[in-house]
Amino acid sequence: MKVVTGVVGNDIHVVANRLIDLSLQARGFEVFNLGVNTYLEEFVDAVIETNADILLISSLNGEAEGWCREVKILKSKYGNLLDDVVFMIGGNLVVGSGTADDIVPRFKNYGFDLVFHQVDLNTGLDALEEFMKERNT
Amino acid sequence: MSKSINNKLLIDVGSTYFKVCTVHGVQQHFRDFNKDIFDDLTYKCGDIIHNYHKDDVHVCSSANGGLSTLIIGITNSFSLKYATNIAFNSGINIIDTVLYKEIEQTSIPSDLIDVVIVVGGIDSVSSIFDKKLFDYLEKINYSNIVYVGSEKEAPYLKENIENLVTLPNIITNKLHVEEENLKEYLTNLYQADIMGKEDIKHLYDITSNQIYSTPYIVNKTLPLIDSKFKVANPYILIDIGGATTDIHYSKDLVDENMVTENEYDRLVFKKLGVYKSKESLIFAAKNNEFVYELLAHLKVTENIFDESGEKATRILMQLAIFLVLCKVSTYRKAYVNLKLNALNSLVFTGGITKVLKQEEIEDIVSFFYKKILNSAHNPTIVMDNNYDIWTLGMNPEKN
Repeated sequence: MKVVTGVVGNDIHVVANRLIDLSLQARGFEVFNLGVNTYLEEFVDAVIETNADILLISSLNGEAEGWCREVKILKSKYGNLLDDVVFMIGGNLVVGSGTADDIVPRFKNYGFDLVFHQVDLNTGLDALEEFMKERNT
Repeated sequence: MSKSINNKLLIDVGSTYFKVCTVHGVQQHFRDFNKDIFDDLTYKCGDIIHNYHKDDVHVCSSANGGLSTLIIGITNSFSLKYATNIAFNSGINIIDTVLYKEIEQTSIPSDLIDVVIVVGGIDSVSSIFDKKLFDYLEKINYSNIVYVGSEKEAPYLKENIENLVTLPNIITNKLHVEEENLKEYLTNLYQADIMGKEDIKHLYDITSNQIYSTPYIVNKTLPLIDSKFKVANPYILIDIGGATTDIHYSKDLVDENMVTENEYDRLVFKKLGVYKSKESLIFAAKNNEFVYELLAHLKVTENIFDESGEKATRILMQLAIFLVLCKVSTYRKAYVNLKLNALNSLVFTGGITKVLKQEEIEDIVSFFYKKILNSAHNPTIVMDNNYDIWTLGMNPEKN
């Protein structure tokens, strides 16, 4: 399966980005890593150009809150081209305090299928694999 | 002038003037539009030309205005952006882009398109384009079409599009840009276009060297500009001619550059000349919301657009300066937005330097900075009054 990944907005967490890339590859995914400092539109465009199955956005310093509110709008612009793409986000998703109980529904409302706030990388990727398995059966 | 051009004759064929450079300096001649370029040139400068061997005559031309290009791609961030960048770096002028998902709502260009570029997807992707593309292509008038997207899609497109040229994908499997094949194709097409023009073709009777486009030659001279002019980096050079307006800029003025081979890039606005493309210049002016304020500033009314003569030409040239600065400023979200507030020098060349005085140019530049950028910034204006810039490339060891 193809995954487009990268760190959103003005976030320069290269180490986390590299770890996600390596972990995905180790699990057998074909990875298209856009790196750090990536805009939302670039993520979606990369999914279109690669015909990826999954978009995995990461955010470590809370940039996600400001950058990911328009996922639904972008999805609607591309019509049914993105219907089968799984949108996943993980990391430290907001600035300041907040619990997963508040944050997860908020990001799902933004248009993500899978949301992991302050969750261990491997736990998130296990959940992704489980989700894809269930979806494909 | 250095010894290096002692034995060389340089000729620049423009849409309005041609310029001839010998060791004795640059001569300019207004074109006689009742004659073809070759006859006109040999009538006026035959005595000079006959003193030179064909190997020593070097000709460049912008008289044809370059190639019109339309790019159809599937995303803004990759296919359209990459193909646009490659086209600009190949010296291609007009760039209209169509985002494929909006192709049914996109207006049909009425002009003849010299080359259509279709691009999208990495090599493992298929089923990108469908009948929508063929319906659109049927409605437009084009001379060449090239496909540079996913290799899996190529057979389907080849089957359905007549005379389609397919080249390797410009998007690598890592989503990076691969420019060489498309760049070479477009450069060759540009050359073929220059050589294909009947007028230009005859110029090969006097030179055995390749005829290049003038913007290409001017761009090559920019690293040598210090040898003749007091120019401080970063700077832009604006060449306002009869058919086109070209901007050459140092890369310090842009944030993003995918191709870093050259120190300077260029943009060529095919429809912003003051003679051959005067009508489209006026059209562009009328569509700019500041233009009436500018006309008032110049103490004229819009009736000037219907007039001809020296005054009208001066106003058109001032408009061309204003419009081209608008086109590359943050006022318009374009392919390139230059950091104009960081400019130290603004160099002018082309026919404009023969018509406008330095203070008239300074006035327009200052108006632009105040109105569009809300800034009191005033870069130094440098005038190439004698068309020296296009000759510098021949004199790398110039004193």
